[in-house]
Amino acid sequence: MATSRIKKILLLLLNTFLYFIYGKNIIVLLITSVLTYYFGHIIVKKKSYLITTILISIILMPLIFYKYLINIMEISILVPLGISYYTLSLISYLSDMYHKRYHEANSLLDFLLFSLYFPCLFIGPINRYDTFSLELKKISFKKENVFNSLLRISFGLIKKLIIANKLMIVINTIASNNEFTGLYVLLACLLYSILLYCDFSGGIDIVLGISKIFNINLVENFNHPYLSESIKEFWRRWHISLSSWLKDYVYIPLGGNRGSKIMTKVNVLITFLISGLWHGIHYILWGILHGILVILNFKTKNRVVNIILTFTLISLLWIFFIYNNTFLSIEMFVSIFTKCDINVITNFLSLGLNIYEIIIVIIFLIMVIIYERKKDVIEKNFSSFTIENKVALILLLIILILLFGNYGLDVNGNNFIYGSF
Amino acid sequence: MKYLKLLIVIILFFGIVFVLGKLVSLKYISEYPEGSFISDYYKEENNHDVIFLGDCEAYTTFSPINLYEKYGITSYVRGNSQQLIGASYYLLQETLKYEHPKVVVLSVGLMRYDKQVKEEYNRLLLDKMKWSKEKIHLMNYLMLDNENIFSYFFPLLRYHDRITKLNSDDFKYLFNDRIVSHNGFLINQEVKPLNTLPSKKVLDNYNFSESNMEYLKKIMKLCQENNITLVLEKSPTMYPFWYDEYEKQIIDFANTYHLDYYNLLEKKDDIGLDFTKDTYDSGVHLNLSGAIKTTEYFGKILKEKYALQNHQNDDKIKLDYEKKIERFYGEVHEKNN
Repeated sequence: MATSRIKKILLLLLNTFLYFIYGKNIIVLLITSVLTYYFGHIIVKKKSYLITTILISIILMPLIFYKYLINIMEISILVPLGISYYTLSLISYLSDMYHKRYHEANSLLDFLLFSLYFPCLFIGPINRYDTFSLELKKISFKKENVFNSLLRISFGLIKKLIIANKLMIVINTIASNNEFTGLYVLLACLLYSILLYCDFSGGIDIVLGISKIFNINLVENFNHPYLSESIKEFWRRWHISLSSWLKDYVYIPLGGNRGSKIMTKVNVLITFLISGLWHGIHYILWGILHGILVILNFKTKNRVVNIILTFTLISLLWIFFIYNNTFLSIEMFVSIFTKCDINVITNFLSLGLNIYEIIIVIIFLIMVIIYERKKDVIEKNFSSFTIENKVALILLLIILILLFGNYGLDVNGNNFIYGSF
Repeated sequence: MKYLKLLIVIILFFGIVFVLGKLVSLKYISEYPEGSFISDYYKEENNHDVIFLGDCEAYTTFSPINLYEKYGITSYVRGNSQQLIGASYYLLQETLKYEHPKVVVLSVGLMRYDKQVKEEYNRLLLDKMKWSKEKIHLMNYLMLDNENIFSYFFPLLRYHDRITKLNSDDFKYLFNDRIVSHNGFLINQEVKPLNTLPSKKVLDNYNFSESNMEYLKKIMKLCQENNITLVLEKSPTMYPFWYDEYEKQIIDFANTYHLDYYNLLEKKDDIGLDFTKDTYDSGVHLNLSGAIKTTEYFGKILKEKYALQNHQNDDKIKLDYEKKIERFYGEVHEKNN
């Protein structure tokens, strides 16, 4: 028991240390975490809907202030790291307390470890206290976990540094010049699909890999999302922790599909509107459009056609992420259908990547696809390697990352895209 | 046995990182030759009576080969692009580990610059510098906030993006190097005349920074401690402007500490400089023709005032400089064709 407590304290100290190293405002996070811990006890005791609403509103305030108000008021202030992620985790805890889904946290230490868990503050996944607290009970350093975790972290780095950051060069070239319209925009949308997946899931691989080293198993955030046959299915496979959070704490409380067909559709739309809003003010339309596509939920009888159609629609809607401006995004979206810049094929090599870099991206993309499709087999085989072969393989991957990654000075893309939400 | 294999794997890893780092690093031969000035110095066979310190104004103004040819004075220019005064101080410290010159000429144009503006300039100075405590001090002094110290230990971290842009130099000079400069001087024979000077900007502040003045004093002290004569000099370049306020501060400093100061910009007519012919970039730097004229003019001062020895009859030095002169004129001839 005492050993477990020491491990937890050490992990908490490590988290706090990393937070300070990263140089971000920890005070807000610390205060809201401690408040939430005590609010949970109040909610359990009072069992009042009104009190729960008020307390959740208090916890929401920093998010509203740091995410929206400072933009509107144009204030320059240090935004606490991961505020969007931990606020959702804290709200889920308070809501769960009201609905008595599980027992309240009895240890402030456990609760702080849950809310301050450093790796997740960058890009999630959004944790729930009940599952996380179970993981906390088995914190340990297992040798058999280490190498598979390092393998996963290495592939996460390959996705982020080699694929996403290199594709970011092309996207930035297109997005920074409004003369690139039509097919250039379509190309940007398709590449951005790959980029965003590699950036986001690469980050999640690193987070889950680091956690696994401490024997903490976090929820998977992706399940081959681009193999979805519909937008509805896509949202069951993409950013799973956010989708399930929205389902449990927005869609179902709104009534879910228990009311009329119209009310169900309205509930879907509201859920996606909130999803858009969580990403930022510029993403509201993106959220609504996804909501509409989920409601329409059309499909053909051919699986391949469905996958291609879904991928194309999702790619086109990433346009709001590429331009970060609703009106410009609409203008560029329209240009895809009104302007035909066929020279995109001949000009491709002038968009920032040379032929070797394109080949490198393709090779590593194939490597990542194979790893993701055959992950269990690869990890099982890797586990049977001798220790020196395991080290050799990890070091080889590190060399490839160091050599072919796009990082360092002047690299636009040292942060994760979903780290800014 | 297991641990031995593991050790071999780790050594192999660092070996590969080292070789790849060497491969992708800039070689500073055809591209950015200024980066080789620092390592060219380590290949010098003989000591120098004069060391020139400064920024680009130093390495485009003084040609040590011509200085030897004309007066038999041995010299080396330890200057580089945008070299700050603090960097000059640490380079002088490093120089004193190898030799004790009689005269150090400090080109004072560098006093205008307070801090480093581009990481690339740091690289020119640091990439091929030998590891020493002076290099660590220099890194500490020069590094910009966004720079990563590890990238100086592992160049792969800095230059990995060159892997798809390698050229023949990268393979040819992977494990060997060649001398690029002529005792720290770079030959440039292009001519771009100075037509009209841009209008003189009014500055908010003309005072040299306290830090720069401190380093200037440190250089002076270092010279005193090592019995070296420190000479201050302003190179004859027309732009960026050398304001009267700058001039006054240098004169005051020289007077206070009894140092010799030569403003060669004021002597441009005596030197015979013609800025329609003697500059390769409209008066910002001198070309070879301008450098030869200035070197000959300033060499005379050095020779007469500081009683520097003529080494033209010293067999060892003569042999060395014969090779240097041959290479120098070979390059001049090659560039002329």
